[in-house]
Amino acid sequence: MALKSEFFVQPAYPYDRSRPIRWVWSHIWRYKRLFLQCVAGFIIGYTSFSYARILIGQAADAIINADPAALASAGLAVLLILLLDSLASLAGSLSIETVAQRMERDGRQELYEALLGKSQTWHDRQRVGDIMARATDDMRQMNGMINPGILFMLDMMLGITVPVIMIASIRLELVSLLIVFVLIYALAVRRYARALNPVVNHQRSTFGAMNAGLEETIVGIEVVKASAQEAFERRKFHLNAKAYRDYFAQQGRIEARYLPMFFYALLTGGVFMHCMLLFAAGRLGVAEIVAVMGLIGVMRFPVFVSIFSFSLVQLGIASARRVLEIINAETAMDENASGHAAVMQGGLTFENVTFTFDDGIPILKNISFDVQPGQTIAIVGQTGSGKSTLTDLINRTYDTVAGRILIDGIDVRDWNMASLRSQISRIEQDVFLFSRSIAENIAFGAPGTPQEDIERAAREAQAHDFIMALPDGYNTVIGERGVTLSGGQRQRLALRVRS
Amino acid sequence: MGFIMDGLDAEAYDRSYSDRQLVKRILAYFRPEGWRIGVVALAIFLTSVVNTALPVVISNGLDELGVTHPTPAMLIRLMLIVTALGVLGWTFNAFRQWLSAAAIGNVTLRLREDAFDAVTKRDMSFYDQFPSAKIVSRVTSDTQQFSQTVGLVTDLMSQFLLVVLLIGYLFSVNVTMALITLALAPFIIVTALGFRKIARATITQSRRVNAEVSSHIQETVSGIRIAKAFRQEQAIYDDFLDVNSRSYRINLRTGYTFSSIFPILNLVAGIGTAALVYFGGRITIDSPNLLTPGQWYLFIQGLALFWFPLTSIASFWSQFQLGLAAGERVFALIDAEAKVVQTGNLTLEHVGGEIEFKHLDFGYVEGQPVLSDFNLHIRQGESLALVGHTGSGKSSIGKLVARFYEFQGGDIAVDGISLRTVNLDSYRSKLGIVTQTPFLFDGTVRENIRYGRASASDAEVEAAAMQVANGDWLSVLAQGLDTPVGERGSALSMGQRQLVCLARVVLQDPAIFILDEATASVDPLTEALIQEGLDTVMKGRTSIVIAHRLSTIKHSDRIIVLREGEIIEQGTHDELIQKDGHYAELYNTYFRHQSLEYIESAKDMVA
Repeated sequence: MALKSEFFVQPAYPYDRSRPIRWVWSHIWRYKRLFLQCVAGFIIGYTSFSYARILIGQAADAIINADPAALASAGLAVLLILLLDSLASLAGSLSIETVAQRMERDGRQELYEALLGKSQTWHDRQRVGDIMARATDDMRQMNGMINPGILFMLDMMLGITVPVIMIASIRLELVSLLIVFVLIYALAVRRYARALNPVVNHQRSTFGAMNAGLEETIVGIEVVKASAQEAFERRKFHLNAKAYRDYFAQQGRIEARYLPMFFYALLTGGVFMHCMLLFAAGRLGVAEIVAVMGLIGVMRFPVFVSIFSFSLVQLGIASARRVLEIINAETAMDENASGHAAVMQGGLTFENVTFTFDDGIPILKNISFDVQPGQTIAIVGQTGSGKSTLTDLINRTYDTVAGRILIDGIDVRDWNMASLRSQISRIEQDVFLFSRSIAENIAFGAPGTPQEDIERAAREAQAHDFIMALPDGYNTVIGERGVTLSGGQRQRLALRVRS
Repeated sequence: MGFIMDGLDAEAYDRSYSDRQLVKRILAYFRPEGWRIGVVALAIFLTSVVNTALPVVISNGLDELGVTHPTPAMLIRLMLIVTALGVLGWTFNAFRQWLSAAAIGNVTLRLREDAFDAVTKRDMSFYDQFPSAKIVSRVTSDTQQFSQTVGLVTDLMSQFLLVVLLIGYLFSVNVTMALITLALAPFIIVTALGFRKIARATITQSRRVNAEVSSHIQETVSGIRIAKAFRQEQAIYDDFLDVNSRSYRINLRTGYTFSSIFPILNLVAGIGTAALVYFGGRITIDSPNLLTPGQWYLFIQGLALFWFPLTSIASFWSQFQLGLAAGERVFALIDAEAKVVQTGNLTLEHVGGEIEFKHLDFGYVEGQPVLSDFNLHIRQGESLALVGHTGSGKSSIGKLVARFYEFQGGDIAVDGISLRTVNLDSYRSKLGIVTQTPFLFDGTVRENIRYGRASASDAEVEAAAMQVANGDWLSVLAQGLDTPVGERGSALSMGQRQLVCLARVVLQDPAIFILDEATASVDPLTEALIQEGLDTVMKGRTSIVIAHRLSTIKHSDRIIVLREGEIIEQGTHDELIQKDGHYAELYNTYFRHQSLEYIESAKDMVA
């Protein structure tokens, strides 16, 4: 089912958003050529790297038999196959890196499109810091889940399977201990993942809370300073940062008790013993022992690395879940692209309009009035009486709960969203200027407005003189909060040009 | 690739630190974790020793096989030794991870707190200049990255020791073979140094572009209502695509750098392994008394042991640089010089509220003076209204009294004491400020009022709320004092936010009250409520009001009319009207329509 959205771009690729894992997978699979290239690179890499151990065994044979020619060919084969290993791994690493970076880019874009499409009602409920954490840190984390997370997964799967197969081909019965190991290993890894999962999730959400809290302190710094409340804010930050530290340390403790490496140590001793027994029975040569122990050595890194691969993949999935939560969040309105689009005359009718916010407290009750085109009306009332909210309903920042609003006789919900909103001008109480040039801020509603028109608008708003006094005139870039301008100046810039 | 660098300039407060300075700083932070780091280093070293002993035992075992037929006792001994070494290695490693996570967690916490303190100590010009998202990413993300470098440092030290021990042992076995092994080191080190250079440059750019992405998204989310109202989603979306794809290109380059280091070092090791297989094999065949097959095998295994620490020493550099780059950003934030320069730290127990500007020169930006040679004396308990056109400098006067900005010449004295010499915390706690855009913290109305004095009881908070306009405004709030205000107060109307801010000031009970009146945000009926509140707040306090409302102006003891940073008229409302000068003109054009008669007629119009 397609979600409603107030902003729509043709999707670049149909992602599966039903579950976090599927979503991540559909992102990877979008670049299947690169991904398969990586898998192929790693298969070639691990096969060559492991096969080199068998070649070294053959070299050992040549040494014991004092055969320089066989040694030379074995040495040369080792050289070539290890070169192949390096090149294949390099190609594999670069391919997966590309997939990881593209996933971060595409996923963030997808999230951004979703953010633009959500209704104001939805946005009112969100904390800016939290959304930011999702768009930046969580997206990074998903990048890390692929490289090195999935890369390590490949290491783990191939780095265990390939040596096991090769050992089996040397002497099948040697595999018995390996099979026991792989089973115990799988159980241990599973248990480990279960212990780690909740801690990782808590850690992520604590990080989000810490960011959001800090963000608020910084945005409200004037109040903090004016009330000399730095110490209070510090305590607040300390509590969040400390909670994060505790989860971080807890994760360290769980990782420290990573049992697979312990079983690997037992495996090494066991396989060595088994080799000796076979040797004593005359069923295994020294060369083969060299090869088998070499192959056991190959498994060391993959077993070790699964510790990271699991945390990385889990962190990544947790992040993907948080990002997907936003993307999939229900929102009430859509663009209504097929709706009524026309030049507005300005007739406005409220018919028994009732409105409540999510909390159920009624703001407007059964409001009805008519405004003729060109008429100026004043809405008066106590603060909190619903004056601002009333105007929010006209351009469908919010939708009415009951009753309807007509513009030129047509229900606002039947208007094309772009046509409706671009023809309604609204000066906000909260003057929000974008950190762009003054000219761009004035022309915000109508990009491409010629400079003369921008200046005319500025003159009408009595802003031209102070703009010209700024270092770069109309090209002066305003800071994040437009704070280099006084309140009155900001208000004037907010009287933007309309298309 | 010049185009990739576009727009990646460093922040104005960035400095360059030498690696040595950064290392010194981090050591200072880790000093309290000394014992943990010590145990961690020891554990890593022991792990390495155990890991070295393992192949030695195996190669000796192989040689024994060639000489004697294995006995059950010998088999059990070998197996026990091999297993024991493995288990010990695991235990040491567990210690290491446990303790280093604790140490890194603690240091990150301290670093974050220091960065936080540094941020809150900056004056307002810092916040005007730098977007909050970039500051946040330095305080929370860069700190973590930096403190993790210490894990790398302990790794480096122990692994260096391991390399030395291993090479020493290998030399005692066979000099030629040890030399072949050692010959690889320069290649590995040269490759590593090459990476170090590239890594540092790319990673710094990556972090910057990441901060830019954060900034962009933050602005979008904060300004979404405007973007919607103006139907400008497409425009900001296009901007985003631009930033996002730039971030992709730069991060891809960084990613490639880091992804290629291991395969390339692997290549070097592969060549080394092949050389050892062949040349070692020749030595064993030609002169078996110099090198046994077991020892030959030891060298091949040894190379892997030797190579791993060397590559981590090599990748140490690139990772270490990654950490140092983050550290540089954190310390640049911590060390940024405060623009507000205090020459003393006098704690003010009591503030009367007499304020004097003496020949003050002030401007936000060099070369653009806002006030020059400005003089103004405000008596204790006087209420002062500042009026004038936009940009006349009225807001600056309030901000200077709060000591939010540094002034360039002259002085400001409170009760005859220069503001430069006082402890700002003690001074500001005697100062009540309501800003033009009233800011509330996410929480309840009660919590926001209590912000003025954290120790206040519920009864005191309620009393403060009731003092503002007899508490009439509280009945409109859904849950009274426990109504959540939403992020930045978004759930309340602008007028309600102002009333909450006034109650906050009443609770704080300051000696000096500064109000930057909102320009157009309050309706006439609420204005009456606010005026009542203001009367309460201003009673018996020195008050400076950057005035936009006639009622406030009329209620004040003295009106100061400003133009381009100069006082052009002063006096009471009646005096100035009589004078028929600049104020009279302002009154006629801006304030007259706010008079009571006007409000009454507005009411009639609605009725």
